[in-house]
Amino acid sequence: MKKHTFAGGIHPLHGQHEGKAATRGKPVREFVSDSVCIPMDMHLGAPSKPLVRKGDHVKIGQVIGEAVGPRGIPVHASVSGLVTEVGLKQQLLSNASMCVTIQNDFADEWVECKGFGNVETAPADKIVPAILAAGICGMGGACFPTHAKLSPPSGKRIQTILLNGAECETFLTSDHRLMLETPGRVVDGLRAAMRALGVGRGVIAIEDNKPDAIDAMQRACRGREGVEVAVLKTKYPQGGEKQLIQAVTGREVPSGGLPMDVGVVVLNVGTAAAIADAVVDGKPLISRITTVTGAVREPSNLLLRIGTLFADAVSGCGGYDGEPGKIFAGGSMTGVCAPDDSVSMTKATNGIVVLTEKQARSQTQLPCIRCGRCVDACPAGLMPYRLMHLCVSGDLDQAVKENVKDCILCGSCSYICPAKRWLAASFKNAKEQLARRS
Amino acid sequence: MRLRLSTGPHLHATETTRSLMQDVLIALLPAAVAGIYLFGERAAVLLAVSVASAVLAEAAWQRLAGQPLQVRDLSAAVTGLLLGLNLPSSAPWWLAVVGSVFAIVVVKQLFGGIGHNFLNPALAARAVLLTSWPARMTTFFLPERLVEIGGASAAQFGDAVTSATPLAKGGTAIMDLLLGNVPGSIGEVCKVAILLGFAYLLVRGTIGFHIPVLFVGTVALMTWLLGGDPLVAVLSGGVLFGAVFMATDYTTNPMLARGQCVFAVGCGVIVTLIRQYGGYPEGVTYAILLMNVLTPLLDKWMKRRVYGEVKQHA
Repeated sequence: MKKHTFAGGIHPLHGQHEGKAATRGKPVREFVSDSVCIPMDMHLGAPSKPLVRKGDHVKIGQVIGEAVGPRGIPVHASVSGLVTEVGLKQQLLSNASMCVTIQNDFADEWVECKGFGNVETAPADKIVPAILAAGICGMGGACFPTHAKLSPPSGKRIQTILLNGAECETFLTSDHRLMLETPGRVVDGLRAAMRALGVGRGVIAIEDNKPDAIDAMQRACRGREGVEVAVLKTKYPQGGEKQLIQAVTGREVPSGGLPMDVGVVVLNVGTAAAIADAVVDGKPLISRITTVTGAVREPSNLLLRIGTLFADAVSGCGGYDGEPGKIFAGGSMTGVCAPDDSVSMTKATNGIVVLTEKQARSQTQLPCIRCGRCVDACPAGLMPYRLMHLCVSGDLDQAVKENVKDCILCGSCSYICPAKRWLAASFKNAKEQLARRS
Repeated sequence: MRLRLSTGPHLHATETTRSLMQDVLIALLPAAVAGIYLFGERAAVLLAVSVASAVLAEAAWQRLAGQPLQVRDLSAAVTGLLLGLNLPSSAPWWLAVVGSVFAIVVVKQLFGGIGHNFLNPALAARAVLLTSWPARMTTFFLPERLVEIGGASAAQFGDAVTSATPLAKGGTAIMDLLLGNVPGSIGEVCKVAILLGFAYLLVRGTIGFHIPVLFVGTVALMTWLLGGDPLVAVLSGGVLFGAVFMATDYTTNPMLARGQCVFAVGCGVIVTLIRQYGGYPEGVTYAILLMNVLTPLLDKWMKRRVYGEVKQHA
């Protein structure tokens, strides 16, 4: 079978099974905490407006945050119980987030949900509204509102929907377990998205380090119209949107453009499963699979209610194994650090990874020795060693000329650098400065 | 709970500057051992003196300049060992000291330290020694001991000391060239040891194969085109040592693989031209140094295609 791949890239934690060995064989287990704290700004777009007040009683699936603006999405209660607080709280973002805290009464009372029963018979024009109503945003980490992705401007013709099941990030096995345990939901979600856009081709792309998931998805695709599985080489960042498109279609998203410019929409497999739930059962997005691993006693793939605190998720895995030194949401390449463990997991939190104090220690940055590893690793075709020099010295205009904006912040250069230089961090900084400029 | 905060990546490759330098030192070990076996105690003393003086020179410079002490990265040790292996066993100990100090202080530190030198420090120092003390640098002792395996026989050289370089003598048996039964610099004579080191560097992923292979391949091809014996050309003098350990110096060769290929071919062409038409019997040192100088230009000229770059239509 042909294995698809892209140019550049690295093999992070190669000798250590990409950090996935501890959880990839573990079936998903539901863990429900005593309370949840649900942020109103889990998606890219205007934060939702809280609709509940302290003292209100809510049911599971009840809208507690109203969508604001064209890219806004609603937020739903993920447990039933009493609203104990509505207010600002420090989450993973730089600014404090408006959050609704709900004390779980474990009554598991649901609001009434009505779906279409079958993705193949659901009216095509009702699919995107159902996705919006379910509050779905990109669950691979980018949090882009899915209904907006599935509403391309007129004139853009989409030919292919790509489901991203690469899971190239280290430590994460949540997408792996999802594809293995409920492949039918993933295909249903893909078919729903295809029908909503009138697209004839759907491809589920999976790295070859998950042969059981490839097998499960291939079986689930049998007899379904226009869907297929593409096997990818295991390489980071294979699941980067642009790299995935290059690997599967051979086309490159133009610099500064979007996937739809090459006729592709990319969705995460988790997002597809959420779409299936929304269309088939009319259920909003209130839970997701999160890999909780690293320095915890019992690394697991947990089905968590949205808004579960990191501390609760860790206690669901037997607690910390030793003193934690760093906790981040996502894998070790691009994960976002938590200031403490009282932050909430969101719709995009595919993993919670705990590092020990020793692992978390930063290494001293040494001078560049021009070994060229960053150049070979960069999937965007940049010259990271030069760019870092430009970014650090403040010559942002030259950095733009040398395509710093095309950096996808995958961190491959920083990972591979023997001198442990903060390459990706300097590009992130430069990109943020450039964004403020315009 | 005190947690660290940073942007990703949160874990890094295990390779460090120090581990890479350590790999180069390990790769140089067979050549050093062979050199000491062949040339005896004198060689061991020279190698020790050059490594020690390089490390001390770097430490002293960093102390005097108020820089953080970074000799732990082992790069000075590599420079010292490379220089020592490039000396003839006849060299006096002070020649090693002068060479090492020049390599570290003038070529490396004055230009900004590790990663900023534009010439290979060991080679630049060797070039300086070669022009300053030409007789001392080209007086090659015959190996004190010869390796006799299979068809290799003791090479028939008239004198124990020869002032001509090995390249000046024709007709040496291939096996003697391979094993090091020839006069020459301490580290360059035993090709088997160099190839062993090359294999180690490849397995460890420290260097790619393209620079050494293209360098040596170009020398073979050019020599053949000019009517010489390509095998003897490749196995004589410092071509193999230079191609494996000198031309592959990260800092002084281009960053893009394409540039590195041009660099390697350029080295091979210049070596052959110097050997065939130049005043020197050997040209590896100058060939690599000249290509070192061209490296910034190669880096500037060679552009990479960026992902998603829209083709410019005229």
